[in-house]
Order: sequence, then structure tokens, then C-alpha cells
Amino acid sequence: MPLVRPGIRRLFDLMVRRRDVSSRDVGTEVSLHLELRVEQLVQRGLTEHEARREAERRFGPIERAVPALEALAHRRDRRMSFRDWLDSVVQDVRYALRGLRREPSFTAFAIITLALGIGANAAMYGVVDRLLLRGPDHVADADRLLRFTTTVRRGSGGEVTYSSAGYVMYLNLKAVSAFEELVAYTPSSFSLGKGREARTVPGSAATANFFGLLGVRPLIGRFFTPDEDNTSSPQKVVVLGEALWRSQFGGDSRVVGQTITLDQGTYTVVGVAPRGFTGVELARMDVWVPMSDYSQNTADNWPRSWNAQWLYIVGRIKPGVSPTLAADEATRVHQATYDAAPTRSMAKAKIGVTPIRFTEEGVEPTEASVSRWLLGVTLVVLLIACSNVANLLLARVIRRRGEVGVRLALGAGRRRLARLFVTESLVLATLGGVASLLVAAVIAVLIRQSLLTNIEWTTPPVSGRILLVSFVVTLLVGLLVGIAPAIQAARGSLQMAIQRGRSQGRRLGIGAWPTILQATLTACLLIGAGLFVRSLHKARTTPLGFDSERVLVSAVSFIEGASTPQERSIQRARQKETMRRALVRLQEHAGVERAAIAVGSPFGNAFGVNLFVPGFDSIPKLPGGGPYVSAVTADYFTAVGTKLMRGRTFRATEGDGTEPVTIVNETMARTLWPGQDALSRCLRIGADTAPCAQVVGIVEDAGRYELKEPPTMQYYIPLGQERGFGGSVFMIRPRATPAAYEATAIRLIGDTDASIDRVTAWPIRDKIEPLLRTWKLGATVFTLGGVLALLVAVLGLYSVMSYSVAQRTHEMGIRIALGARTRSIVGMVVRQGMIMAAAGITAGVFIAIIAGRRLQDLLFDTSPNDVPVIGVAATVLLASALLASVWPALRAGRVDPMRALKSE
Amino acid sequence: MAVALPVIKGTLDVLVLKALSWGPMHGFEVTSWLEERSGGSLDVEDSALYQAFYRLEERGLVSAEWGMTGNNRRARYYRISSGGRAHLRAQTSQWLRYAATVSDILSAPARAR
Repeated sequence: MPLVRPGIRRLFDLMVRRRDVSSRDVGTEVSLHLELRVEQLVQRGLTEHEARREAERRFGPIERAVPALEALAHRRDRRMSFRDWLDSVVQDVRYALRGLRREPSFTAFAIITLALGIGANAAMYGVVDRLLLRGPDHVADADRLLRFTTTVRRGSGGEVTYSSAGYVMYLNLKAVSAFEELVAYTPSSFSLGKGREARTVPGSAATANFFGLLGVRPLIGRFFTPDEDNTSSPQKVVVLGEALWRSQFGGDSRVVGQTITLDQGTYTVVGVAPRGFTGVELARMDVWVPMSDYSQNTADNWPRSWNAQWLYIVGRIKPGVSPTLAADEATRVHQATYDAAPTRSMAKAKIGVTPIRFTEEGVEPTEASVSRWLLGVTLVVLLIACSNVANLLLARVIRRRGEVGVRLALGAGRRRLARLFVTESLVLATLGGVASLLVAAVIAVLIRQSLLTNIEWTTPPVSGRILLVSFVVTLLVGLLVGIAPAIQAARGSLQMAIQRGRSQGRRLGIGAWPTILQATLTACLLIGAGLFVRSLHKARTTPLGFDSERVLVSAVSFIEGASTPQERSIQRARQKETMRRALVRLQEHAGVERAAIAVGSPFGNAFGVNLFVPGFDSIPKLPGGGPYVSAVTADYFTAVGTKLMRGRTFRATEGDGTEPVTIVNETMARTLWPGQDALSRCLRIGADTAPCAQVVGIVEDAGRYELKEPPTMQYYIPLGQERGFGGSVFMIRPRATPAAYEATAIRLIGDTDASIDRVTAWPIRDKIEPLLRTWKLGATVFTLGGVLALLVAVLGLYSVMSYSVAQRTHEMGIRIALGARTRSIVGMVVRQGMIMAAAGITAGVFIAIIAGRRLQDLLFDTSPNDVPVIGVAATVLLASALLASVWPALRAGRVDPMRALKSE
Repeated sequence: MAVALPVIKGTLDVLVLKALSWGPMHGFEVTSWLEERSGGSLDVEDSALYQAFYRLEERGLVSAEWGMTGNNRRARYYRISSGGRAHLRAQTSQWLRYAATVSDILSAPARAR
């Protein structure tokens, strides 16, 4: 057995032996020259010996001249053969283009199919690249940046992990030796500008070393210094985001040194961050302020307090250090330096580290997990597209067997022939690849503008990386779809040419397996689409305990002017009074059905105060935390649409100074007084010496900040009876849609009093919609992929069936001649199509059930084995398959036996 | 026999093309043709001629083919391509203009003292 396979040796020979060939040619030429010269000189009368010497003299020194000629000849041969090769490629490409132009509908179908497949992949790759691979812009070596998490035991058992921490912990953890340095930041939003012109912009507070650790350089000016971020005397300085700088300041570099108003404070601009700088997260940031300035009001003695947690800690781990060991060390450091009450769960907290792209809860963002699945979806679509085009090309080879036979007869090598077909598929793929850029751009824009709106996309929809990916995918696709036809063409072609037109005898014939595969994959995608659509629907319609579609929320900020505590309390009383006046204006306005004021509201603020219930040593703890308290006006429940289950709501007269009363939610009633009547029970709010607040009503549970929450205890008290917490918003139920009433509400409230600085309003739905993002993304891409796959698969089945019918015209003719009825012929063909479809669907359902288990976490209230979803997907596919085979079947039934038999 | 003239660089290619413009020839035929035309006054090694062939071939100005000589010997025949003809035309006119200019200048009467 040869050591090297013949094919490979031939290739090797081509590279090495070519030099020998050139040299041999030179040798032949030179010796002929010398011979002829000798003959010439002998004729002129020289002796043979003299003539030879003279010939060599005239030629030039042989030992130098011949090698020089050989080198030259070799170079010539190499270049010329390359040129020949190039010429032949150009020829092949021309030939391929001619062939494709001859069959425009086939060509268009193949190009569109490939463009959709490649384009969808490129677009999804762009998403995955942004969410998972590339890391935030301008951040050096992002892999070594880790986010700190805190894991504490819950009173009710179980653990909870979160990332927010206090400044004290940030200072303490700086001692962890596994890290080069630690930084802290807090994403937030700021009110930029004064009064009604003010608008809310996203921004972040950051420690002064934040920028240096990330490795970002300012576009102009500088970032803030440790001096400006001094905990004892922080400076009001700000670094602008590039986008804000361009839109607000026209990109003027003289902005450095100017002042802007942020949250009613005056800040000096010290620099501008580079374009697309978003810190360690991926959302747009317009302003950066010193952490110390931002933190001033978070808690008393905020640099050392354990009572508030508002910042995220990020560290750069030293090269080669294991994150697990770093986390262990951080836990030891934290537990050794913790200096507040040892009874608190924080004392035994475990510190962990995660990649920076992970969420607050220390897990991968669901968008990222979903987008990984979705890249899989687009790959499947591409696979279907490829198998379909390969199938068509295969059928085309058979269709062209006459031409192939002629070429073979004329002496075209099989290899040359195979190359011709691969060239054709590469040309097809390239055309598809070019068209795919348009598809990719459209999909990318769709995803950016309506699905992943929270991400700052810093690259164009079709970036260099995406171009590269598309190019590579295109090449692979070209080879993939070309191989089968090329083999077919090179192998059986001569034989095929001879027995042209004879039926193949095989029942399913060429293209059955790709068709079944397509049905399988399409079934998977359709089931996935169904699961996500169902999840989205469930998430959107999940009962939240209030009318999320009808409520407009509005917040007011006042002009602050008080300096002494006394002045401040007078001002606060005035502000409350203004709020009441604004409420009356709202309630009297014709556009408003109901309006209320609330301190603590769904998808807004949540408060908890000490609570004592007679008969309990301590309040039972539920996994969701709480109990939470809200202070609301009488119309609150009707305004937001939280149903009263028993008892009554508050009266307009109830408030500050009247008898304390309370309304509890169902969970609270059930938890505190199981199987008993909660009405007329007593809560002591704030202290165990407080007067009894009588339970006067029970309302349904209402969501607080998630679509799905564990049951939480919540109670309400009349506005004015709250002590120790504040921050009220209007809850408005307009007659029109919340969005339509937004402007009116802002004007109405803003005009109430001159002390009002700024009014903002937002439909409560705006806070809920972002929570649906994952399912929206999944449902959209899965559905698009599923529909695409279905379309391609149906067209594929149709073409395979048509082809098979055309192939068997002869057979059909015989059958009909022998007395088969049209109906039985049609039935036979349809049955064939349905067998392929059914086989594919069965396999698809099977795969979907297995793969679905891994999808479980990404679904909302939907089982991955959801029977209706699987049923609908299978039915849709079967119906489509039926449609795709009936048409060719009818054609088979109409075969005229005389013509079919004569034609052969 | 006249004193042999050294061949100016690049001219050999044009001379070879000129030779081939009369029809396909093998290497020695071109050599003889040039010797005949120049009366043997070109001082160039025969091997340089072959270098010129290879260069021209690489540039696509001539093409080559194996054939048989009258005496039934295997020889490489060179044929001028259409590109080669165009190149020859352009080079010829340029060369003639150059030569005329140079000879005009050199043949002007010397300035009287």
C-alpha cells in the first residue's frame, strides 16, 4: 500500500516536479542551439572540436548561463500556469453565469434562499458578537474584568445573589490581593437641564479610577481625578458621553470648562468620553459623575455605612489567577472586615465573581442565552437553505446529463467537470452572499430598533466582522451545496447520458433525504417559534393585579431652596399640599376617569417599615421579601384597577390625623390569619406601641417589579398616615390611552404651582414592556426562522415531487394504460410526499422534545413539551406538505398514456 | 568584420520581436536572423537571447510551442502574439525617434573656434 494517497502525491508532484520540467525544456533547447551552431561553424570550415569550443564561447559560460535560464524558465512556467489557471477559472465562472442565466427562476430561487440563510446568520452573529463576544467598547482586556456578587441566606431558607453593594464593602474588598484594582459604578438616570426644558438622560456615577482600570482614554479633556471623587469633599464635575456632546453641544471642544445642570445641581464639564463608551455595560451613557458626589445622600456616614447598597463593584483580576480562588479570598476579606451588627445576614455573606456581562443577579442575561439559541435557529435555516439548493443543483445535473455526456464524450476530464459544478455553486453562493448583506442589514436594523433597544450598538448593522463571517459562510455554503452535484456529475454521468429518460426505479428517488431533513428541522423551528410565541403571550397577559394598559404614572420634582431642617419641613408640607391641589385638578379634568396619589407603587418604589401584629412574635418571612407598604389616596384602587376582594377601600376623609386603617393583600391576609377573617384585625405600623390600624379591606395581590414574583405580603394605608418614607407619584387612569394623555397630564400638573420644577409622566406599561424583551426576541426570530424554513421546505418538497413525477412520466403512462384511475395515481404521489413529511415531522418532534428541556428556563409559564404547540406545528407542516404534493400529483394524474409511452 | 556593438539594455527584446514578426522561429533561427541582419555586429551572448525569449513569453508578448525542425529535431518555436506586435510597433517608433534626435544632435557641425 502506498504511503501517500495517489491524489495527494499528484498534488505534490505538481509543486515539485514542475521545476524539473522547466529545466528539461531548457536543456533540450540549449543543446539544439549548440548542435545547430556547431553544424553552422563546421560548414564554415572549422573542425568539429574548434566549432564546439566556439559555439560554447558564443553561447556564454554554460555553467552560469544554463542555471540562469532554468531559473527564468521556471519563473515563467509558474506564472504562466497560474495565469492559465486564472483564465480557466474566469472561463468556468462565465460558463456558470451563462448556465444560471438560462434558468432564471431556478437561479432566483437559489440566490434568494441562500441570501436569506446567510443574511439571517450574519445578523444573528452581529447580535451574539455584541452581547457575548466583543465586550464593551474601549475596554481593554475585558475578560479579566469581573463583577462582584454577594450571596446571602434568606430568613425563609434559600440563598439570594445580587451585585449591589455599599461603598464600605468596595473599600474593604480593595484588600483582596487577587485583583490589580477595584472600581465601583452605579448606572442611573439624570435630569439634564432646568425646568420644563429638562430631559432625562442615562448616566452613571463612577469612582475616579474607573476609567483608568478599563483602559479608556477621553476624546477631549480628561476624566475626573481622585481629588474630585474625594468622599469628604466631592466636586460637581461631569464627563459627557460622545453622543450627548454631539447632539447637545454640537461637538464643540470648548465645552470643557462650561457648566451644565444635572438633577438641579451645577456641574462643570471636564471631558468627553470616546464614541460608544458605555462603561462595563452595553447601554448608552450620556453623563459620568464622581461616585462620591452621587453617593452623598444615600445614607448617613455613607462611606462606612452598611445600610444602603447602591453601587456595583468591578475588579481586574491579576493574570493567571483563578476566579474561584479570588472569590474565596474576597469572601474571607469581607467576613473579616464586616463591622456592623453580626446578626445580619450580611455578616456571613459569600462573595462571588462573574464576567462583567452577567446581570445584577450574577447570571448570564437571558437576552444573551436566547440570542445563542437564535444563532442556532439561523444556522438551521441556513442548513435547510443549503440542502434545498444542493437538491436543486442535483436535479439540475440530472436535467443536464445530455450536455454532461457530450462534454465527457468530447474528452472533458471528470475532475474538470466536477470543478465546473463546484464553480457554479460557488458563483451561486457568492451571488447569494452579496444579496445576503441586504438581508443582514434589514434584520439587524429590525432587531436593534424594536427588540434590543437597550443596547448601545456602536457598529453599523453590517460591520467588518459581519462581512468576514458572511464571506466565510458563503464559501462554505458554496462548497457544501456544490459537492453532491459535483460527485454526481463526475461519477455516473456517462452512464446517465446513455440511459436518459428511463425511470430510476427507486421509489423516493433523489432528494428524499434532504426533504426529510428539511421537514425535521422545520418542525423543530416551528415548535420553538410556538413555544416563544406562547411564552410572550402568557407574559404579556399574565395578571399583574392592576390594569397595566390603562395607567399613566407621573412624578413631580420641586425647586429645592430650603437650607435649615425647619425650612425643609415647611417646604415639604407645602409640596404635599401642592400635590393634593394637582390631584384635584386631575380629578376634575374631563380626560381623567380616576386619579390618585401613591407613595410606593407597582413597578415604582417599594417601602418597608417595622410592623407588629398582635399574636405574632415576628412576622413570617416569605421568599419575596416584605411586607411592603404603600400610602395611597382613596381612589387608588379604582385608578390602577386592583380589585377589592372584601371590605372597603379608603374614604376621601381618611388621612393624616384620622383613625389609622389599613388594607391588606390576599397573601398577607392568608399568611397572617389563615382560615380566618382578616377584616377588623389589627396592625401596629412603625412601632409595637403604635395604635392599632384596623384592617378594613382585602385586595388582590399586585405585581411590584417582575412579571412573575413569589407571593409577597403588601398592605396599604391612607396617604398622610405614612411615617418615615415618602416620594409620591400620581397614578392616573385617563379616558384615552395613557400615552395619549401624557402631555396633558404634564401640563395640568406643572401649571398647578410655581414651585414645581419638572413633571415627568410615563405609561406604566413602559416599565413592563422591557421585561418582555427576551420573549419578543425569541418569538420574532424563531417565527421568522420557522416561516422561512417552512417556505423553503415546502418549495423544496414541491420541486422534488415535481421532479419525481416528471421522471416517472413513463411509469405513470403504463399504470394509466393498465387501467389505474386518476384518483389512485394522485393518491400514490401525494402519499409519497406525505410519507417524507411525516417521517421528518416525527423526527423533528422527537428532537424538539429532547432539545426543549434545555429551553425550559427561557420560557414563560410554558412547558417545552406543550402539546397544543407541537400539535399546531405538526399540523401546519403536514398541511403545507399536502399542498406541496397535490399539485405535482394532479399533474401525474393527467398524464396521457399514449404520449408518455410514445415519447420514449 | 566590423567591431561588435554592445546591445543597449532592453533593445534585445525588440530585436527578437522584430525577428519573430517575420514568422515563428526557433531559438537558433532567431540568432542567425539577427546575425545576418547586423552583419555580426551585435555583441551579445546567445544565452541572452533565450533569456529574452523567456521574459517575452512571461509577459505574453510571444508564445511558444514544441515542434520539429526540417531535420526532424525537437525545437521550441516562438511566435509573436498580437500584444507582441503592438509592443514592437510602439517600441520601434520610440526607438527611431530617439535615434533620430540623438543623431541630429551629434551630427551638427562643431562650433567654430
